Amino acid sequence: MQFISFGFLIFLPIVVLINLIIPRKWRYVWLFITSAAFYLSIDVKGSIVLVLSILTTYFAGLLLDKEGDKKGRDKLIFVLCLIINIGMILVLKYLGFFERTVFGIIGKEAQDTIASRIIAPIGISFYVLKAISYLIDVKRGDLKAERNIVKYALYVSFFPQIISGPIERAGDLLPQFSYPLSVDYDRLRDGSMQMLWGYFLKLVVADRLGIFVNSVYSGSGTSGLVTLLATIFYTFEIYCDFGGYSHIAIGAARILGIDVMKNFDSPYLSMSIAEFWRRWHISLSSFFKDYIYIPLGGNRKGTVRKYINIIIVFAVSGLWHGANYTFILWGLLHAVYQIIGFVLKPVRDGAVKLFKVNRSSFSHVLYKVIVTFLLVNFAWVFFRADSVSQAVGILKTCMHPAPWALTSGELFAHGLNEANMLLALIGIGILVIVDIMNYKGVVIREKIMAQGIWFRYLVAIAAVLVILVCGIWGPGYDAASFIYQQF
Amino acid sequence: MKTKILNFCKAAVFFLLLAVCILAATVVVRRKESSYKYADFFDKAKNDQIDVLFMGSSHVINAVNPATLYRNYGITAYNMGGHGSVMQATYWELIEALDYCKPKWVVVDAYMLEKDYQYLDVMEENADPGDINTSVEQLHLNMDAWPLGRLKIAAVNDLIKDPDKRNQFLFDFIVYHDRWSELDENDYRALTGNADRNQLFGAEMRYDVEKTPVTYPDPQEGALLSGHTVGQEYLRKIIDECQRDGIGVVVTYLPFCADTDDKIAANSAGAVAGEYGVPYINMLDKDIIDIRTDLNDTGHLNASGAEKVSRFLGQWLTDNADLADHRGDASYSDWQNKADAYYGSISDMAASEDDLYTELELLSLNEVSGIVYFNQGSGAFHDDTLRKMVSNIAGTDTIYQANGPYILINDVGSGKTYEAFDDGFLGGVPTAMGNLIYQPVEARFRFLYAEENEEMNYLYDDEHADFDIQVITYDPASGEVLTHRYYRSYGNRYRTD
Repeated sequence: MQFISFGFLIFLPIVVLINLIIPRKWRYVWLFITSAAFYLSIDVKGSIVLVLSILTTYFAGLLLDKEGDKKGRDKLIFVLCLIINIGMILVLKYLGFFERTVFGIIGKEAQDTIASRIIAPIGISFYVLKAISYLIDVKRGDLKAERNIVKYALYVSFFPQIISGPIERAGDLLPQFSYPLSVDYDRLRDGSMQMLWGYFLKLVVADRLGIFVNSVYSGSGTSGLVTLLATIFYTFEIYCDFGGYSHIAIGAARILGIDVMKNFDSPYLSMSIAEFWRRWHISLSSFFKDYIYIPLGGNRKGTVRKYINIIIVFAVSGLWHGANYTFILWGLLHAVYQIIGFVLKPVRDGAVKLFKVNRSSFSHVLYKVIVTFLLVNFAWVFFRADSVSQAVGILKTCMHPAPWALTSGELFAHGLNEANMLLALIGIGILVIVDIMNYKGVVIREKIMAQGIWFRYLVAIAAVLVILVCGIWGPGYDAASFIYQQF
Repeated sequence: MKTKILNFCKAAVFFLLLAVCILAATVVVRRKESSYKYADFFDKAKNDQIDVLFMGSSHVINAVNPATLYRNYGITAYNMGGHGSVMQATYWELIEALDYCKPKWVVVDAYMLEKDYQYLDVMEENADPGDINTSVEQLHLNMDAWPLGRLKIAAVNDLIKDPDKRNQFLFDFIVYHDRWSELDENDYRALTGNADRNQLFGAEMRYDVEKTPVTYPDPQEGALLSGHTVGQEYLRKIIDECQRDGIGVVVTYLPFCADTDDKIAANSAGAVAGEYGVPYINMLDKDIIDIRTDLNDTGHLNASGAEKVSRFLGQWLTDNADLADHRGDASYSDWQNKADAYYGSISDMAASEDDLYTELELLSLNEVSGIVYFNQGSGAFHDDTLRKMVSNIAGTDTIYQANGPYILINDVGSGKTYEAFDDGFLGGVPTAMGNLIYQPVEARFRFLYAEENEEMNYLYDDEHADFDIQVITYDPASGEVLTHRYYRSYGNRYRTD
């Protein structure tokens, strides 16, 4: 059962209705039952891994939380539990990759081995990180271990988050399971509107752009300008896809009385790569910062060490996204961007001073946003490509613009006719406007809710109709999954 | 509590409005082919005006023209044929139709009786995915118009195996929502019930002429299908259903270029009909159409063939079915109007058509008068199809004796035809254009004029001196010339330039 399935559209209202009826103190049981059912409907075999992760971290947490002088034992339990959980990811997600790499180094042909046939359980990269963050928080003493195993299991498996996050911290979520917020009419409306926005981004924009992008990336002989456009479309596709998912997840949690952290905050309006990572996939970025970068020393141990730490964090981030060199390169590119940014900071500051640039002027802000966007766009080429050589090929093609593709009809030969192309561009336009408003602290959803009833109804009905009519779904399209689900 | 009730009411209003809008969107984006075909069926069934239902595949769609049946026999019939309809699809089409009307007779064509698969989305083992796709798409044309209900669910469950595909029939918005970028005015007119509709009571006429019809060997005398097929099972169900409801049923096998297996299936249809004691008309064995002139393609009849088959069936029903003649009944005026409109359109098409075969096909329907002239040395004298078409219009074999030139005057108003060939001439034959005189003079020059206007030579003008074929159409009543078209022959192809 995916978020974009009829099953989910039936499942969620039932869950919400019963959740409204059940006494608050028992809601977590209901949410756990439904979360288990949700996951089982997607991946029965994978549920074994989920249970293993829950049980190991739950009992390890209890043991770590016991009073007394037991540093050695705690360390052993902690490391063992980490090994088990990270080991599960490594084996299930990366064994095939490691095997291919080793075979490549020794010059052997990779055969059809068990490793190459392993399919990682759905959401493993997300729920294991949640479990690990809980374990570390307990170990550090930042969090009391959860005694109630159902509540803890719900924390790891909470169905709006289990497939692709946000990777919420236990400290934020567990108290909400104990004392869930009352779900009133306004909360229902707000959560539903956020879900609608998510469905719009996913079905109307992301999957529409995906048709064009897939056609260009899987074809050959495409002109430079169209290829360049495809790379830009992918930049928006992945944002709308993952951002859309996150909005659906956050909205679904909200109408269940649970507040979930924001995962995106107008990332493409960032004025630097560092800012981009504070606004893109916030739950993952903060995980890496809190549990890898800072423990490695962060920026406290000198400049060189800081750069090494950045490289480590982004290499891990790349690898986390997938078992392929393209992802590692993507991560490293972001690390390099940041290091170059730090190295060139004096030069940039000097230039600003020399040319008397007003840093807060619109033109300078726009310049920085565009440069950051283009750098991010460049890196996404590696993220999207099936291989490094394909990514290089795409970039080379972009170097030969061939502007006549705009008028020769080639633009519309990649799965999107004029109407669909126009709709895709309108979708991007709406996204940009909403993000600019969000950047300025204006939440469009709240603005709509503050209007008269006829306007609210009009917007909501129009949104549903646009999603249903213009959304990419139904036979002929594989819109059944989200890009980040594979990670 | 008051706030809760108010919120509940507001939510209810919202969902009601949303449901109405989604329903409207569903109507607008739905493909209109199915509702186009059946819109008149629902209207006529509501008024209990349908006496005969014609069931079957596209063979039926193209072969049976209810306008002909009404115009010539006063029979009110609806053509329910579906593109690619195998017998089980035809069965469910009938079951759906019987939910809306109770005809006096059902005529079911048994084409594809030999098909031995149940599900249209599976078909035979190793079926081509393209064929499966076409089969499912064609079923949409048959099914989309029927509202969601118990019968439709049963039909879809019986015809489609894949649960996802079943849902696409029950909730066709799943399939059609992405038509949003191709919507036109007609799609929006569906909201007010004014979308385009079939004007031939479900039939579709085709106007091409198959120039290379094929004939196949006959099977052994009395050869039948070797085993029991799904097609046979559903033909039995159709007959059962009709007999249970007291509806007269007749099984047909409409004419086309049937291969040996089709002929065996036709024999088997007769055997099934015989089991139930219902009449069976195997038109493959009857001299109703001429495959050289009456086929649109090897599988389907053209308008000329449909006229012949419809008249045959109309006569059969008149003789055997005890049906009322509704002509002259004011409440059936729409039937008359549509029949008149169809035959009126034949004249218009004949006037606008620039394909020689089609023009002659339309002339053969005798709705517009015409003069056909082949000059000496014309390629038309070596074209069997063309000569046969002329022969059909003339009702004689004179054309076969001609070496050139040749003229045929078909005066529909008087019901007479006049021919002359080689050195022969016509002297003052009475037509709506006047008393026409035809006189060949030399290879590129001949006279055709009315005694009342000797200055007007219809068969010669300098600009078209080297065109070897001329076709003139004129109004059967007033004699006004409607079109005068010149053709040049290039082998068996004819061009107007």
